[in-house]
Amino acid sequence: MRKAIIEFSIKKPMIVIGLAVIITAFFAMQFPKIKIDTDPQNMLESDEPTRLFHAATKDNFNLYDFIAVGIIAEPTAFTPDELNRVYRITEEIAELEGVIVDDIMSISMVDDIKQGPGGSIVIEPLMEDEIETDEEAQHIFQRIMNNPILRGKIASDDGKAVAIFIPIESKTISHRLSTEIKEITDRLGGNAEYHIAGLPLAEDSFGSEMFVQMAVSAPAAMAVIFLLLFLFFRQVKIIIAPMVVAMMSVIWAMGLLIYTGNTVHIMSSMIPIFLMPISVLNSIHIISEFHDNFKKYKHKDTTIRHSINELFVPMLFTSMTTVAGFLSLALTPIPPVRVFGIFVAFGIVVAWFLSLTINPAIAMLISDKTLRNFGKDTNEEHGMLAKLMHKFRDLAHKRYKAIIATFGVVVIVAAVGLSLIVVNDNPVKWFKKSHPIRIADNAMNAHLAGTYMNYLVFESEDEGSMKTPELLNYMLRLQDELSKDKTVGSTTGVTDIVKKIRYELFAADSSKMTIPKNSDEIAQLLFIFEMSGGDPDDLFKFVTPEYDKANLWVQLRNGDNMAVSAVVDRGNKFIEENLPPAGVTVKWAGLPYINIEWQNQMVSGMQKSLASSFVVVFFMMVFLFRSFKWGFFSMLPLTITVMAIYAFIGYIGKPYDMPVAVLSSLTLGLSIDFAIHFIQRLRVIHKRTKNFDESFHEIFEGTGRAISRNVMVIAIGFLPMLFSTLVPYITVGAFFFAIMIVSGLVTMLLLPSITQMFKKSLFK
Amino acid sequence: MKQTMKTVLALLLILGISSGYASAQDANELMKKSHLAYFYAGDDGVSDVTMTIVSKKGKERVREFIMIRLDNEEGGDQKYYTYFKKPSDVSRVTFMVHKTSVGNDQRWIYVPSIDLIKPISADDKNSSFVGSDFSYEDVSGRHWTEDNHTLKGEETLDGKTVYVIESIPKEKYKGFSRKVSYIDKESMLPLKEEYYNKKDKLVKEFVAVKIEVVDGITTITTRRMNNIKKGGHTIVDFNKISYNVGVKDEIFTERYLKNPPRKYIKK
Repeated sequence: MRKAIIEFSIKKPMIVIGLAVIITAFFAMQFPKIKIDTDPQNMLESDEPTRLFHAATKDNFNLYDFIAVGIIAEPTAFTPDELNRVYRITEEIAELEGVIVDDIMSISMVDDIKQGPGGSIVIEPLMEDEIETDEEAQHIFQRIMNNPILRGKIASDDGKAVAIFIPIESKTISHRLSTEIKEITDRLGGNAEYHIAGLPLAEDSFGSEMFVQMAVSAPAAMAVIFLLLFLFFRQVKIIIAPMVVAMMSVIWAMGLLIYTGNTVHIMSSMIPIFLMPISVLNSIHIISEFHDNFKKYKHKDTTIRHSINELFVPMLFTSMTTVAGFLSLALTPIPPVRVFGIFVAFGIVVAWFLSLTINPAIAMLISDKTLRNFGKDTNEEHGMLAKLMHKFRDLAHKRYKAIIATFGVVVIVAAVGLSLIVVNDNPVKWFKKSHPIRIADNAMNAHLAGTYMNYLVFESEDEGSMKTPELLNYMLRLQDELSKDKTVGSTTGVTDIVKKIRYELFAADSSKMTIPKNSDEIAQLLFIFEMSGGDPDDLFKFVTPEYDKANLWVQLRNGDNMAVSAVVDRGNKFIEENLPPAGVTVKWAGLPYINIEWQNQMVSGMQKSLASSFVVVFFMMVFLFRSFKWGFFSMLPLTITVMAIYAFIGYIGKPYDMPVAVLSSLTLGLSIDFAIHFIQRLRVIHKRTKNFDESFHEIFEGTGRAISRNVMVIAIGFLPMLFSTLVPYITVGAFFFAIMIVSGLVTMLLLPSITQMFKKSLFK
Repeated sequence: MKQTMKTVLALLLILGISSGYASAQDANELMKKSHLAYFYAGDDGVSDVTMTIVSKKGKERVREFIMIRLDNEEGGDQKYYTYFKKPSDVSRVTFMVHKTSVGNDQRWIYVPSIDLIKPISADDKNSSFVGSDFSYEDVSGRHWTEDNHTLKGEETLDGKTVYVIESIPKEKYKGFSRKVSYIDKESMLPLKEEYYNKKDKLVKEFVAVKIEVVDGITTITTRRMNNIKKGGHTIVDFNKISYNVGVKDEIFTERYLKNPPRKYIKK
C-alpha cells in the first residue's frame, strides 16, 4: 500500500498533482460559505446552565449588551459646551441602526428623581435640552452626585469624565456601531478625549481584526519559511513542494470545517497558523534527506525512494503523536476547542499524506538538469549547521553527565515556575496596550464605575418577595460587602430606587435614605415611582413586574477573570455565611461571569486533555520502539519543553489564558517529533553499523541537520507574528519559537547524552 | 350604494382632492366633539376600574381603583379623584388631579404607610399612568387645540362609519408625532387611535373594545392600549359606571385624600 502510493506518485506525478489540485479546488470553493462567530459565550455549550441563566436574566430584566462611550475633559466635563456636545452626540447615536434607544444611559437621556416646585416629587430627564450656563452644568453634576443610581455610572466624581452607555440589539454589531459612533464623536466631539469601550466591542472587534491578522501573518510566515528553505536548499523548484503541501493542508482542513457547517471561531481561525509548521516539518525532513543523498544516488527516483523509506516510520509516528495531541482536545467541554482539535488533527493527516505524495511528485517534475547541482553547491558537511551539530556532538560525547545534570536543574527550576502560573484572561487584553480598545478600557475604568457589568439575581417562587424589608436589607448588606472590593465601581439595585424616592419624599432628609421597615411602604414608594413619571421599564431592569425576582447590577472596573472571580467569591462567601431570606436564591449572571465560567472549564479541560494525550503518546512511543526504556527517554524532550515553557510563563507572570492553554497540545505534539526522528533513526543506523560510536557520530549529520533546519524554519518563520496587534497571535508566534528551540536543544543535547550514558542497556 | 360611496371616496383620496372635502375647520370641530363625548361625558362620573397590564411575555398585573370625575367646565377644567384598592399593598393610596385646559395640571398623592400627602410633578403628561401602557394624557385627554387636525375621509370600521382624522402636534411632543383617530360618526367616540413616532412608525394603538350605553350615555367600557413598540398591552374595564350623581367639588381636596368620601368609596 505504502509502496504503491509512493510508486504511483513517482510514476504519475501529473495525476497526483492534478487530483490534489481538484480536491483543493473543491475545498477552496467552500470558503465563501464561511460563518464567523467571535462570541466567547460560545466557548460554553449552548445548554450550559451558566449561559442559560445569563440569557434568562437578560430576558427577565430586558437587559442588553452595551457599548460604553467615555468623554474625558480637563479641567471638567461639566461645561455647557461639553455637555451640549454629549447631548448632540447622544441624539445622533440614538439614530443608529441596532441601538436600543429607550435604554441609552446618557446625561441627556436618563431620568432623575428630585424635589420639584411646591415640595413635589418629580421624575424627569436630567438634561432635557441643550443648556447655556455654567450654573446649569454644575447643577446637573450635583444632581448626579446626589443620585446613587447615576453616580459613577454616567459621570465620575471628579467631574472630568462622562459616560454614555449604549445598549445594542446584538453583540455582533458592536464593531460596526463603534465605527459609526467614532465618526460621530470625531465630528461633534470637540477637544475632549473620546473613548469607546465595552466587553462586547472587544469581543466583536477581535473577530474582525483576527481576520486581518490571518491575512497578514499567514502569508508573512509563508514568505519567511520560503526564504529560509531557499537559504538551506538553494533550489526554488524543490522547495515549492513544502509550500504547496502546507497550503493544501490548510485549505482542506478549513474547507472541510466550513463544508461541515462549523463556524469559524477565534480558535478555529488559528487552524492555518497551527497547521503550517506541522505540515512543513515533514516536507523539510524529506527534502533534507533528498538533498543530502542526491549526490550519492544521482537519480531522482532512487533518491526519493530512499528518503521516503528512511522517513516513513518516523513521519508516521510524528504525525500520529501530533494528531493524538490535538484529538485530545476533543475531550474538552468547550465546543470551539473541540472543533479546533478535530480539524487540526484532520489537517495533520492530510499534510502527512500530501507530504508523501506531493513531495515525490513535484521532485519528479523537476528536470535532471535543474537538479544537477542540487546538494553540491552547498557544502553541507562543513556548513554552519554542520559545525553547530558537531559542537553538540562533542558536548554530548564528552560532557554528557554535565548536560544531564544541567537538565536536571532545569526541571527543578521549571517545577517551581509551574507553581507560579496565574490563570487569568480578559478579552479586552487580547488587544495590545496601544490598541484604542485597551486605551479606552484603561481611561474609562480609571475614572468611572466601570465598563464591565455583572448581575446578581435574587429569585423566589413567591410574587412580591422582592419588596420585603428583609430582602432589601439583605441586598443592601450584600452591596456593602461587594463594594469593599476595589474592582467594584458601583452596585445598583431596587434598594437604591427605594432609598432615593424615600429621601426625596422626605424633602431630601439624609436620615431617610434607608429601607423602610414595612412592605407596604416599600410597595407604595415604588408606586410613587410609577406615578411620578418614572419609566416602569427603568424599574423593571432591577426587579420583575411581579416582584419575584430582583437584579443587582454589579459594575466592575476590571474585566480580568481574576478580579471578577474575587468579586464573585466575595459575594458567594457572604451568601454562604449569611443566608438570604427563606425561599430566595442568589445567583450570578453577566458577560464577565460567563468568561470566568468558561475559563474554569477550559483550564480543567486542558489539564485532562494534556494528561490523556501524554499517556497516549507514551504508549505510542513504547509501541514504536518496542521498548519501555526508549519510550520513557523519548518523552523527555516533550516533558522538559512543556515544563520549561510553562514555567517561563509562570516566572514572567504572563497570565495563563485561552491561547496559552490551547498551545499546550501543540507543544506536546511538536516537541515529541524531534525525539522520534532522533531515536528511530539512531536505531536504524545502529542496526546497520552495529557500533554505537559510529551511529552516534552519524546521527549528528543528516538527521541532526534536518532537525536543526526544522528548528530554524519554524522558529524564525513565525516571528513575524510577534508584530501582531493581537496578543494571542504574539503568544502563538513566541510559542513556536520556544517549542522549536527548547525541544531542539533537548533532543540534540539531552537525548544523545542519555544514550551515551545508558548505551550499554539501550543497545544490547 | 355603500360600495359605490367607498369607491368614490377612495378615488377622491387617491386623487388627493380630499382637502376641499375636509377642511381643517371641520376636523377641529369633529375632534372637539369627540373629546367632549369621550372625556366630558355627563357632568360627573363615578366608576370602578380594573386595569390589567399584560407584559410582552403575557404576565399580568392587575390594578383596581375607583375613579371619580367632576367637570367644572365643559371642555375645560376637570378634577379626578382615584382611590386604589389593588394590589393590596397599595390599597388606600389616593391620587388627585386638577386638570386645567391652560398650563400644567396639579397632582397629589396620599401615601398611607407614612401618612403623607405629596404633590407630584405633572410636567410630563406623556409619562405612564401607574405603570400601564396608558399615559396620563390617554386617561384624562389631550386638549384638541394642541394639535392640527385634518380629516382624511370616512371609512367603515367594525360595521360603523368612522371619520379618519390625522392629528399633528403644534409643538414638538414626545407622545407622538402623528396620530390617526377613527371616530364613530354616531357616538363621536374614538374606536381606534394610532400613535406614530417621529420616524413615522406605529408605536401605540388604542382600541375601544366594548361600547355600552350607561345612563343614556354611550361609553367605552373596555379600552385597550396595544404597545406595539415594546410589546404587551393594557386593558381597562369600567364597571358600575354612574353619571351625573352630583359629585361635590369639596371632594377634590387634601382632606378627602386622607379620608376618602364614604359615599362613593366602600372599603
